[in-house]
Amino acid sequence: MATLDAALDREVPVAAAERRRPGLGALFWLAVAWIAIVLLLALAADLLPLASPFKLTLDARRASPSAQHLFGTDALGRDILSRLIHGARISLAVGFTAPLLGTVVGTVLGVLAGYFRGRFETLAIAATDVLLAFPPLVLALAIIAYLGASVVNLIIVLGILTIPAVTRVARATTLSLREREFVIAARALGASHARILRREILPNVLVPLGAFFLLLAAVTIIAEGILSYLGLGVPPPAPSWGSMIAEGRDSLAVAPHVAFIPAAAMFLTVISINLIGDTLRASIDPRRSAL
Amino acid sequence: MLGFVGRRLLYLIPVVLAVTVLTFFIASLLPGDLAVTMLGDQATPEAVAALHKKLGLDLPLWQQYLHWLGGALSGDFGTSQRTGETVLHAIAGRLPVSLELMVIAELGGLLIGVPLAILCAVRAGSELDRVASAAAFGTLSVPPFLLAILLIFLFAVQLNWLPATGYVPLSEDILGNLRAMALPGLTLALLEWPAIMRILRSDMISTLQENYIAMAKAKGLSQRRILLVHALKPSSLTLVTIVGLNIGRLIGGALLVETIFALPGVGRLLVEAIFLRDFIILQGGVVLVAIGFVVVNFAVDLLYAALDPRIRHGHA
Amino acid sequence: MGCTKQRQGWLRLVALSAFAALALTIAPAGAQTRGGTVKFGVGEDIAGFDPITVGAYGAATASAAALLFNTLTRLDDQGKPAPELALSWTASPDFKTWTFKLRPDVKFQDGSPFNAQAVAFNFQRMRNPDNHCRCAAYLTAIDTVEAADDLTVVYHLNAPQPNWAALIAPKTVTTVIHSPKAIEEMKEGYNRHPVGTGGFRLKSWQSGDQIVLERNPDYWNKDHVYLDEVSVRPLPDAQARYASLQSGESDVVWDDNADDIADARKNANFAVREYAGSGAVVYVFNMRQPPFDDVRVRQAMRMAMDMPAFADAVASGVSKAAKDPYGPGSFVQCKDTGLLPYDVAKAKALLADYGKPVDFKLIVTATPRGRTYGQIFQEFWSAVGAKVSIDQIDQSTLGARVFSHNFQVAPWGIIDSADPDPQMYANFHTGSPVNLAGYSNPDVDRLLEDARNSGDLEKRSDDYCEIARILNKDVPWFWALEIHSFAIAKAHLEGIPQQRSGVIDLTTAWWDKK
Repeated sequence: MATLDAALDREVPVAAAERRRPGLGALFWLAVAWIAIVLLLALAADLLPLASPFKLTLDARRASPSAQHLFGTDALGRDILSRLIHGARISLAVGFTAPLLGTVVGTVLGVLAGYFRGRFETLAIAATDVLLAFPPLVLALAIIAYLGASVVNLIIVLGILTIPAVTRVARATTLSLREREFVIAARALGASHARILRREILPNVLVPLGAFFLLLAAVTIIAEGILSYLGLGVPPPAPSWGSMIAEGRDSLAVAPHVAFIPAAAMFLTVISINLIGDTLRASIDPRRSAL
Repeated sequence: MLGFVGRRLLYLIPVVLAVTVLTFFIASLLPGDLAVTMLGDQATPEAVAALHKKLGLDLPLWQQYLHWLGGALSGDFGTSQRTGETVLHAIAGRLPVSLELMVIAELGGLLIGVPLAILCAVRAGSELDRVASAAAFGTLSVPPFLLAILLIFLFAVQLNWLPATGYVPLSEDILGNLRAMALPGLTLALLEWPAIMRILRSDMISTLQENYIAMAKAKGLSQRRILLVHALKPSSLTLVTIVGLNIGRLIGGALLVETIFALPGVGRLLVEAIFLRDFIILQGGVVLVAIGFVVVNFAVDLLYAALDPRIRHGHA
Repeated sequence: MGCTKQRQGWLRLVALSAFAALALTIAPAGAQTRGGTVKFGVGEDIAGFDPITVGAYGAATASAAALLFNTLTRLDDQGKPAPELALSWTASPDFKTWTFKLRPDVKFQDGSPFNAQAVAFNFQRMRNPDNHCRCAAYLTAIDTVEAADDLTVVYHLNAPQPNWAALIAPKTVTTVIHSPKAIEEMKEGYNRHPVGTGGFRLKSWQSGDQIVLERNPDYWNKDHVYLDEVSVRPLPDAQARYASLQSGESDVVWDDNADDIADARKNANFAVREYAGSGAVVYVFNMRQPPFDDVRVRQAMRMAMDMPAFADAVASGVSKAAKDPYGPGSFVQCKDTGLLPYDVAKAKALLADYGKPVDFKLIVTATPRGRTYGQIFQEFWSAVGAKVSIDQIDQSTLGARVFSHNFQVAPWGIIDSADPDPQMYANFHTGSPVNLAGYSNPDVDRLLEDARNSGDLEKRSDDYCEIARILNKDVPWFWALEIHSFAIAKAHLEGIPQQRSGVIDLTTAWWDKK
């Protein structure tokens, strides 16, 4: 809709204060370190000397952290540390693959819309408006409730929900890019549309989109958590941070660590992704004012 | 201006129609036969066929859609097979609750976000600014349901200041109503303020660098006057946009909060419709919510265009 | 002279007042006090009360129905049938014909008279195939219901049922009596405007929120109704529901969470009411296809389960492992039912004997509880070498899956009931349409028929225990947990009877002002 486009299009002068910022900051590197650790652990999960994430010890349920179970056990006596690391795989897989899907589709749609304009643009924008009009969580719930909860379905549904936002950003970026000198010069030199798109537009679009992608990943990880809370997340017995929090909330009064440990992991990961995404966005293109 | 309104309407009507078509289409794709659900253990093939005929489910999809559309245009969005309520009645009864929740959420978000944004814009890059930004990200990184549960635990169970659940209609008891909406409103406000704060802050930082601000300073106007009158006003446009969009989104989007706090709102109705397989409420409800979103956006567009001449003339 | 007289008068007044005050304070505690409201928090939304529309009553709807409606009989503290809308009843010697004499001068809340014709009307409406009532499945025991005269109802049953009067006592979708006049006038609107003969009538119903019921001033038993108002509010989030009790918005809540119960038991402000019911939480094997067509596999799976550990894990002592399908609340109490023991070695041996790989799907309902149970069972069975995957389905589709025999192992239930016959016969007799496992055993058939045709409780009990012994050996189904229903209420809310069938009946509740 016109208003959001206008907000994104506005060329505002560079903020003096932000220009003065020295480097990327300690917080940024801390965030990067955390994400690196989580990714490493997730990838190496099978190689690490962890207890099985599925093995129940019904007589040692909700145990506090101990030498045997570094993070304690959950309501069914399963090792939390092991489930946390295995859960990272699924939470990160869903959290990154879904927006990746949306970014690929949305970039194509948005760039083409912004570059060629005309009727295709109107159609693309209308399509995103239609999709945006749906209450997103309701759509996700309905589709998963009826088609069944599986990692694949989750990725597809959550991915589709990110398409409109990506399309918007891609289009807005393309709109401003196409009027820039290097694009006009390329056109004057007789470059084909495909060439311009590939060499001038796309690389410059991907950079701000990369930052936006990270923000979408953060939102998607939380969305998986919400769906798990409502019972439609990753199906059992596969652990995900969202389903661990959901399973742990029954024990909040008695053994809060069962829910808080995965919640803390999710929190730290999401905030790290947010910080990285925002810092990248601000340092690359401080003119963009939207969150 | 009228031309602009006309053009927007011309654009929006097909969008709304497309929403109804898409909803119908998705609903038809989902597994589960409405007749079988209604009949339950009585679902013999003959009974199912008879019910199909009675409900018009044996007609081709496009005919069913037209039938539904005809009903919708005359205000009949269907009747729930589960409760016997009409869709309109179900939504109308719950709309005030959701609307009140949205207003409280946005007001709360503004109350926290605007002052923080002004402070941070003035002291951009400072310690305060960085802490506030970190807090904004931090709040957004907590799963909403955990936030709600923690608030209930703290304010309702431990401190016993506010009720944990339930809804009291405004007409019945104003104070009771506000107390019941306090925690859910706070939960949503906490989720709204970061975006408001960050966007307003960016906007104001750039505004504060404009020449006319320097001139106002040179003229000797007080800091407060500069901030509130000259710096905030241009950014109010952005604020209106954000708040408007959020309200539109929240119409169906507050479902998590409504479910946890047992508020009889529209979002919770839709969630229940999904879990209880109330297809008619789900279909009609999603369409009405989508229309609401489109209408709110339209109103925001109008407001924006009225305030900013560049938009009216197709600059964007 | 005048002053003294006045002072004497004063003194007398003071003495009298003091005496009166003293008398009041030493009045017996616990006398029913009239007045007050109760806020009742239930776990699901209430869709409505019309059997045709809703098909079945969940625990929440049934609890609200207990306030609005009556049934012909009720169960007393010993679980025996007592008069409610019927004053007396007799059965034919073959237990197939039951005659009920109704209470005179009873009116529905809309003023229309309650009589035998009303009872017949209710039944015929549910049975009428044109109405496609999903509740009709629960009426298969009845052939016809006739109104012999205004105050006499005769049930003609399809099979002998010695305990029929007790079976129609619980407030369920097929037993409560609705006003025919209201149904005929309101048609589809009746669903949200219920009219019964009960102690409370509908005052207001905020859609999706609370149902407010007020005292019925014309109730035939109004002396035993003390509250002015009861409001029933669905609070689906279990934690928020308990929190609402803790923070005061609810006075009584339906809760079966072990942590909440333990917490409430330690709190002097709350009282936990537990009802140990009959029946059990059970699982069904589909014996029509491999691997569960072989008794060795079924026995192996049962022996792989440490049921007491499971019960402890999921219910923390609030509910125990079931050893037979009858449960603590049944009149059938068996000494030794030959329950297969937890024996991993034996289970592995049985599977080795079977020889073929065991690979199957376990259906669980898409609820936190369903998922938890499923994951535990999966672990038990994997430990003995079976390959088990979890098939999570929506609760509303469980019936369809199970009745169409599209399952291998599925959760089910034997619900709390005054008599085991209806369910045991339906579940285990050869050829029964709802014999979900496809089980057939002539000894069991014979015992079921014997129990059905006898009025001797002891003999019937022996028959059922023998049935349990055979079923424990053949394992067409296995029993997981006993059924315990809980209500947590403020400590000084009295007058709540046992929660039979999980129904919390607040009709006779009152506030102890002490």
